[in-house]
Amino acid sequence: MSTPTLLERYRAMLEMRSFEEACQQGVPTREVHGELHSAIGQEAIAAGMLGSLREDDAVVSTHRNHLHALAKGVDPRAMMAEIFEKSTGLCGGFGGHMHLFDKRLRFSTTGIVGASLPVALGHAYAAVLGGTGAVAVGVTGDGGANIGSFHECLNIAGAWKLPLVVLIENNEWAISVPFSESTATPTLAERAPAYGAWGKRVDGLDVEAVTEAFAEAVAHARAGHGPAILEATCYRFRGHYEGDLDLYRKADEKAQRLAERDPLALTRQTLLDRGVAGEAELDAMAAAASARTAELLESVRRDPSPAPATAHDHVFVSGR
Amino acid sequence: MTVETSAAVRNINVSQAIAESLRLEMARDEKVVVLGEDVGLQGGVFGSTRGLQREFGAMRVRDTPIAEMAFTGMAVGLAIEGYRPVVEIMFVDFIGVCLEQVFNAIGKIPYMSGGRVEMPVVIKTAGGCIGSAAQHSQCLWGTFAHLPGLKVVAPSSPHDSKGLMAAAVESDDPVVFIEHKGLLLQKAATFEHGADVPKERYVVPLGQANVVHAGSDVTLVTLSASVSDALAVAQELDGTGPSVEVIDLRTVVPLDLDTICASVARTGRLLVVDEDYVGFGLSGEVISGVVERLGPQALRAVKRIGVADTPIPAAKSLEEAVLPGRDAIRRAIDEVTR
Repeated sequence: MSTPTLLERYRAMLEMRSFEEACQQGVPTREVHGELHSAIGQEAIAAGMLGSLREDDAVVSTHRNHLHALAKGVDPRAMMAEIFEKSTGLCGGFGGHMHLFDKRLRFSTTGIVGASLPVALGHAYAAVLGGTGAVAVGVTGDGGANIGSFHECLNIAGAWKLPLVVLIENNEWAISVPFSESTATPTLAERAPAYGAWGKRVDGLDVEAVTEAFAEAVAHARAGHGPAILEATCYRFRGHYEGDLDLYRKADEKAQRLAERDPLALTRQTLLDRGVAGEAELDAMAAAASARTAELLESVRRDPSPAPATAHDHVFVSGR
Repeated sequence: MTVETSAAVRNINVSQAIAESLRLEMARDEKVVVLGEDVGLQGGVFGSTRGLQREFGAMRVRDTPIAEMAFTGMAVGLAIEGYRPVVEIMFVDFIGVCLEQVFNAIGKIPYMSGGRVEMPVVIKTAGGCIGSAAQHSQCLWGTFAHLPGLKVVAPSSPHDSKGLMAAAVESDDPVVFIEHKGLLLQKAATFEHGADVPKERYVVPLGQANVVHAGSDVTLVTLSASVSDALAVAQELDGTGPSVEVIDLRTVVPLDLDTICASVARTGRLLVVDEDYVGFGLSGEVISGVVERLGPQALRAVKRIGVADTPIPAAKSLEEAVLPGRDAIRRAIDEVTR
């Protein structure tokens, strides 16, 4: 496992942002005809995961999952084709953007809030059963941290010392309900002692801080010390879904957060301040990421939709 | 010295037949693991996992905390990793706390993944009435069958319990295996049908109904513990009353409409006896399936009896009033053959 440099992480973040923006383009055209959950503004968390995970580690993500898939190494073309409902998609167009499955990479998602952790717990148990030394990352949000499975899974992982990393993307909003109104404690990481778990809260806009904390969480779990809870704070830049009027958040406050606390802008500034790269080089990097994604989108758009006659396939793998 | 002949019925109970089946499956496939409350040290509250932990260890036969959401969901991760988990939900009534994992994840992932991810999971559970009132007496096979992606099994005999469990564990599709609490501790010798449980491994295929009593006047379709009741009534009527063909469905999904329709085409009369709720359930599905296939003119009489959309009451007098017992079966046969 090589650890990517800050510049490489910045490039990954640019690619993640442009991927999400490309997906947004399918919404007004109805190419993506369900709701689409964008993770714009949360790139530093997924980019911070890079370099800490092995191929046989599992990642189980949420309804807002694209960036975790990219971080796990899922083929971006197959992903975009799935999001655009194409037969060439990762799941042949049967899953859609909320349901991405890559068995080889042990990556899966769920559209049901809070349902990711039990699946991750199963991967963690398999790692111990097989003695593989793998870990399982279960992603949830601040909203998902309030459902019962959070407690059930962390309790079991703590009791059985399972290699489970619970990555909480605390973006402050569970659709329209703010974190402060829905959660009993000021942070989620402070729940860790209740489960005999490692716990840390980190600035999820700071890719270096996430990188370090995520590596620490994974190392804790991999060493057989039991579960880890990493709470990464961030801000949901978009509505809950594309098309959400988002009238429950104050417009000026949101505008200020977007302008002043964009993880891409923050990382770019760090690179400039440290003299790692100049304005022109970073601009070129951004342009290249956009161009690659545009090309990908163009290509995916030419792919066929699944044939209607196949709609009843796959209910049972045995065929009946 | 006693000599055991092949004809002698091994007088084990249904739970032991199921435990024996799981033991054979675990021995032939190291990827089979059992998870659930009290399945390990105790061997299950009905004994249907007894001896497994001693033989296969505490990792493969895992006692879990009372945390159904977590351990049912674990089956998904385990299945993706190539394991074949058998998850015990002690009573089927408890499915309410983890239905999400069963119907949204286990039942749908094969489809949502476009057939790329299999879910060879068995949800093993116990249903049926044994005087435990509204929250510990339901069958719910109709509920599972209504949801796409789940095979649903409800055996009626010791023989089928063992063979259908083998089929469930070796199935690459998810299977909800609903034992009947009233049968689990019943000895094989007391069964009029399916009493013989060979020691070796055998498979009763999913989706093949069993004609447990041949007849020519009425087709009586039923399953699980009601099979014994239907069979007793049919035998009682032999020679004196209507000739009743009793079909044990064995599995609700797949539903063996071929066997049912072949019988109804001969008898022209269909009676469904179902211990589950009547409304929007198995009985209506069987009847409409037959009508669609054979046409309404094929049926001279049709009737269904079951729990008429009432929770199961506690008092024995009330419980008997809502269940489709032998008296109700006799009356229903009278009605359809009048």
